[in-house]
Amino acid sequence: MILLLAATVGTLFGSGAYLMLKPDLLRIVAGLVLVSNAAILALLAAALDRGRAPILPLGDGAVSDPVVQALALTGIVIGLAVAALLFVLAYQVYATSETIDLDELSQLETRREQELEQEEVSV
Amino acid sequence: MSPVLPLMIAWVAAVVLALLDSRRRWVAWLVVAALALVFASSLALLLDVLAHGPRTTVAGGWPMGIGIVFSADALGATFAAVSVGVVLAAVLFEALHGTRSRTFGALALFLTTGLCGLFLTGDVFNFYVFFELAMIAAYSLTTYGQEARQLRAGLVFAVVNLLGSFIFLIGVAGLYRVTGTLTMELVAERVATVDSAATVPIAISLLVAFLVKLGLFPFHFWLPTVYASARPAVAAILGGALANIGAYGLLRFGADILPETLRLGAPVLLVLGIASLLYGSLQAVARRSAPGVLAYSSIGQVGYVIVALAIGGPVGYAAAILYAVVNSLNKALLFLASELRGWLVGLAFAVGALSVAGVPPAAGFLAKLEVLRAGVEQGAVVLGLLVLGSALSFVYMFQIYQHDFWREERSVPAGGRAIGAVTASVAVVVLALGLWPEPLLAVSRRAAAMLAGGAG
Amino acid sequence: MTLPTQTLARLLLAPLLVLAAGMLVKGYTDVGDGFAAGLLAAVGFVLQDVAFGQRRAESLLPVRWAYRLALGGLGLALAVAVAPMLAGEPVLKHRPEPGVSPVKVGTLELITPVLFDVGVCLLVLGTVVTGLHLFAHPGEEEEQRS
Repeated sequence: MILLLAATVGTLFGSGAYLMLKPDLLRIVAGLVLVSNAAILALLAAALDRGRAPILPLGDGAVSDPVVQALALTGIVIGLAVAALLFVLAYQVYATSETIDLDELSQLETRREQELEQEEVSV
Repeated sequence: MSPVLPLMIAWVAAVVLALLDSRRRWVAWLVVAALALVFASSLALLLDVLAHGPRTTVAGGWPMGIGIVFSADALGATFAAVSVGVVLAAVLFEALHGTRSRTFGALALFLTTGLCGLFLTGDVFNFYVFFELAMIAAYSLTTYGQEARQLRAGLVFAVVNLLGSFIFLIGVAGLYRVTGTLTMELVAERVATVDSAATVPIAISLLVAFLVKLGLFPFHFWLPTVYASARPAVAAILGGALANIGAYGLLRFGADILPETLRLGAPVLLVLGIASLLYGSLQAVARRSAPGVLAYSSIGQVGYVIVALAIGGPVGYAAAILYAVVNSLNKALLFLASELRGWLVGLAFAVGALSVAGVPPAAGFLAKLEVLRAGVEQGAVVLGLLVLGSALSFVYMFQIYQHDFWREERSVPAGGRAIGAVTASVAVVVLALGLWPEPLLAVSRRAAAMLAGGAG
Repeated sequence: MTLPTQTLARLLLAPLLVLAAGMLVKGYTDVGDGFAAGLLAAVGFVLQDVAFGQRRAESLLPVRWAYRLALGGLGLALAVAVAPMLAGEPVLKHRPEPGVSPVKVGTLELITPVLFDVGVCLLVLGTVVTGLHLFAHPGEEEEQRS
């Protein structure tokens, strides 16, 4: 069980990290969402092997630790807020720069810096 | 006095002010008043903690180990007071300047809530929650100004730091897995008996998360863009208040909770600290614009904190705390002063520059002295590199001072006299701490003794 | 949108709100809590947005107040947390105290955490509705600001 969960967390984190290396803002945000889910699963995995899920009515046998479930819930809420914030930011970048491609964005950045330097020289 | 008082004042004020428009004058002053109240209560808490020892309360009045613990000790209360003070100065600065966004005040207060919460909590997961609250407010604040480059910087900042946050969360999951508790005190007790094969990966994930926050080399890549493109007040909050999370986190999780693992990793930290110190200083020397120099200087300056932490022991921890506090005041002062002109601001900037360079009588001298004192034990090489870093910081600070404040054509007075006075008052604090260092020294030694003495 | 979708969205609003209230009440003895309740209620409102479009949804429902609703919910939850501090007790202390048997309405025990959960529910409802509303029509924000 632990091995399976560890593998899942690893795969989720790896896929997220892979997506974050792409030069596309939406993929980066999607990658972060995957990484956040990897972290939440890691939290759950911290106590899941100790018994069944602690949902009422409690049956016989061991019940798993409810603390991590509360933590995971908090983690999910934070993940939701963060994802919403990132989408807003990505949208705002698109609205001001009209592209969500990181390469194009960095080109814009360099162009702006060159302009600034020229201003500096002319001053 | 309850340790949650500053936190709750900030939180309630943040909710109320989120309903109001910060661009109105009276709302902006209300934000300043609320922050002043939070600052006063965190100072009162610090004095209380120094006089009567740590204060602990459990949410809901539950027994210890069941409820969420809030606890204020010398370390947390010091960082809380300094960070809230920096935010207060930045918000005052912005209120005089004319706030440009509806949500600025509420975001600054939410950020303060997060900072107070994480400095005053005694619970590992609660630390993460407040940390995320402060960071989310910071991401939104970075975009304050709504210019294209600020938005891009905000996005980079958010993505990199969120990755750090989630790595931290995985570390928290690991800590809970090996200790079965989230209360910091109990975690510290139980983790001492855990095999180091389990604690090392956890410590690494926590370390990476805090180094990203601090912007230490080689985790610094996001920092220059963000600091250089944010508006001065926001850069002051980021560099002066938010970066404290990294220093505090390393002290709390490293020195307090995982002291054995910290000792194992000390050589790595020492190398990283010195690398960051040299890299930041050299890059800063090569820059010409004030925000660029200050951003790279931040990378260099946190190197001192890490070196002091790596040296460890009461002397090293005291130096790390002292340096973190002085550095946050320096950064706040310099970022606030960087876009203003006039003799008063020039003087204030000079004080900040001298403080970064470690020249008496500014507080930076004292902080550098403490780090060097701790470094003496490490032999001539470390000491030599630390001195080299200091020399470089003198060079780059002098360069921007000369470049920005001596050139006639750029000395257009921007902002009123009141804004200059805000900056000058931060400079006065930096000077006063340099001239009368006993209280700050006593506080940092007290906190360091507590850290070095084991749990609690 | 087509008529069936609109009818369905209309018909679903009330049951969803009832379901949300049920989630909130049941949360103390069974699956459910304020967060889930808030999300369910938000789904009800967002459906109207999807089915009727921006303008009509706005005239049908007080979407503009969602932001204030969210802050009101947060304020309510905070008030429950802070109120005991005014009486010198630890933060978040609930009444009646553990061990004292509370007044019961069905399975719902009337204790202060219920108020806290109602606050959370309102916060989630307001945040999700405001967020999705702005996502659907980003220009609105600027209009509201000016």
